[in-house]
Amino acid sequence: MTKVIGSVVCTICGCLCDDLEVTVENNEIIKMKNGCAVCEAKMVHGYKSEERILKPHIRKNGKLVPVTIDEAIHEAAQILTDAKYPLLFGWTSSASETQHVGVELAEELGSALDNCCSVCHGPSVMATQEIGIPTATLGQIRHRADLIIYWACNPWSSHPRHVERYTAFTEGRFEKSEFKEYVQKLKAKASQKKVAAAIRRTQVRYQSPSRPKSALVEAPPQTLAKEGRKMVVFDVMKTMTAEVADYFVQVEPNRDYEIFGALRCLVNDQELDVDTVGGVPVDYLKEIADVMVNAEFGAIFFGLGLTQSIGRFRNVELAIALTRDLNRKTKFVVSPMRGHFNVTGANTVFAWQTGYPFALDFSQGYPQYNPGEFTAIDLLRRGDNDATLVISADPGAHFPKGALQNMLKYPLITINPDWNAISRLGDVVFPTQWCGIEQAGTAYRMDSVAITLKKVVEAPKGVPSDEEIVRRILEEVRVIKAKKTATDAADGNVSQEMVGSKKRRSKSIEKEMY
Amino acid sequence: MITITPKRAFTVQIQATCINVDVFTGKTIQDIKNLPITEGKETITLNDAFNITENKTVETPNITLTGDFSKVKRIGQGMKTGEIVINGDVGMHTGEKLSGGKIIVNGNSGGWTGSEMKKGLIEVHGNSGDYTASPYRGTSTGMRGGLIIVYGNVGTDVGCYMQGGLIRINGSAGRYLGYHMLGGTIYVEKDCAIRVGACMTGGKIIINGTVELLMPTFTVDSIKPKVKIDATQTAQGPFYVFLGDIAERGTGKIFALKATNPTCSSYEKYL
Repeated sequence: MTKVIGSVVCTICGCLCDDLEVTVENNEIIKMKNGCAVCEAKMVHGYKSEERILKPHIRKNGKLVPVTIDEAIHEAAQILTDAKYPLLFGWTSSASETQHVGVELAEELGSALDNCCSVCHGPSVMATQEIGIPTATLGQIRHRADLIIYWACNPWSSHPRHVERYTAFTEGRFEKSEFKEYVQKLKAKASQKKVAAAIRRTQVRYQSPSRPKSALVEAPPQTLAKEGRKMVVFDVMKTMTAEVADYFVQVEPNRDYEIFGALRCLVNDQELDVDTVGGVPVDYLKEIADVMVNAEFGAIFFGLGLTQSIGRFRNVELAIALTRDLNRKTKFVVSPMRGHFNVTGANTVFAWQTGYPFALDFSQGYPQYNPGEFTAIDLLRRGDNDATLVISADPGAHFPKGALQNMLKYPLITINPDWNAISRLGDVVFPTQWCGIEQAGTAYRMDSVAITLKKVVEAPKGVPSDEEIVRRILEEVRVIKAKKTATDAADGNVSQEMVGSKKRRSKSIEKEMY
Repeated sequence: MITITPKRAFTVQIQATCINVDVFTGKTIQDIKNLPITEGKETITLNDAFNITENKTVETPNITLTGDFSKVKRIGQGMKTGEIVINGDVGMHTGEKLSGGKIIVNGNSGGWTGSEMKKGLIEVHGNSGDYTASPYRGTSTGMRGGLIIVYGNVGTDVGCYMQGGLIRINGSAGRYLGYHMLGGTIYVEKDCAIRVGACMTGGKIIINGTVELLMPTFTVDSIKPKVKIDATQTAQGPFYVFLGDIAERGTGKIFALKATNPTCSSYEKYL
């Protein structure tokens, strides 16, 4: 039986495109309309992968053995209760309902709790705490923005429909799409290339080929003064997004902070004592500042190039400070290009439950927050925790070696739908449903708008949702703790002698990886 | 004098706010042994993790810690009087909100050492971590007074939002030294990484070594032959004097030694 489901939400990036049309046949997605290539790779092909985990596993004598869900739940709860200081990490590809239960579990365990934003846009959140953020929803930007600035991000690859749905190539109520101009520009460029190639080939017999130009920034083009939408890209390399833009500014790596500082001075009509900043001549920056001030509604989108280069949240802080300065003269907003589809949700849920968006610690019985102290990589690198639960994330593929080595010294629980790097290293491995395909829920778009995810197909038999797994672990932890308290009371032994997680990993497993 | 040594090597963090002269004063050795600390999520007594002995013949220092305390956090937090000597490395938040007394670390100290300090002295004979003398996230009031001396190097973001007092660094300093500084003095004997004094609106930073790169938001003011570090000490120049951060309309001063900063000579044309 074939059915077509409309308004399905894509669960790849922070754009959460909600206009997908999915064709389902025999409980299987066979076709999709409107999605980008990345979306299609996951929602039509990826979720059916042969690498799917279908049963819970526990590591016995160094090998993962299939077990019942009850056994796996008990083992996971026992590990987490025995540990002095477990870490619960991941959450960003789960629905907000799961994240909500996760906070409850962390509080019950007195553990550290962190989400993937500590390795992506956590610095954006920290900068917001320092200075605030003048921002807008993507709908506002779509209809009103006439100057779009992409800073240190490449949405053409990372958020493929961002430009098309929300910024330069969309038909807004007050601003027209620039798509036709882009196609014309593309055609003109292609013709120019053909002519240049023809000339080069005729001349090659008579003179040595011209060498490529050095990576100098070109002067701002006349088109920046045009009416209507304009797109400017600041990046360290010429990306696909930069090709599409009206103007591309190639900055030196790790010099965004200096450029923001210089732009702030120029926007505020101050003079600088230097000629170039971050490889960009100050005269060009003056013109860019003029374009910014003359815009009716400007929007800056920034990516990991700011949050994960030298300076991290300080870079974002200055991007926000520039936006604040620009708002004295015109209307400007700034917005992070969030990565995982529900990383904003993780921040939102953690913040409304505890007051803090990530890098949490419950060891004192109340939530403490300090990035650098309680963030997953910092904790692991120092070797401060003695058990880890990873949910909907793959630190096995992305964490630094030192952090991962410390993680593997102690028991590891994983909750992921497929056999990714971290699942293969787990001691207790849970299967789970694909959120937004086999499981409904709530996710937050990059501009903090809540969007309901749809269930499109049924999950394989016996595979629970991650919310159910976390809730059952929480219940089991409470049962184990109650039993322990009762035993202690019966024995009259209330001494707080450390039990600890004695269960160190066998060295063979570490060798298996390295 | 109370002497404390670890009973074993620690894996998870220990939060020991009670290791503080104000808390120990007036307590018997047995009371001190029973003071609560947390190891990870578990609450234990000081005696569970440390050997504690008392030497009544010696008065100062009041507390001596010997061994590896790098996983032990918040020692001397909010202390008002007395002296703590740590012979070994110490963890984060040592001497946080210190409002008097003295903490001497004969080793390295972790991040947030002397955070939001008001008075007193912290001496680190090794290196000090990131965020030394910087406040808690989102707080706009940093170190208000007192003295921090680091004989080694310091990490990044040292002296953020500093309002008063003196930080003397005998080694090199990391990025964002004196970020958003409002007052007080930072003296660096050796080199200084990028973005020194970013967003500062007051105070002074004296650099006796090389400045890796000065923010474009600083403007050259003058060349001075010498500069006062505090009432008793003076650094001999000549120094370039930069004013900034002009993006924040600030009037903070960076003194960069002329001899070690030949790249700053391009600013001389504006004098």
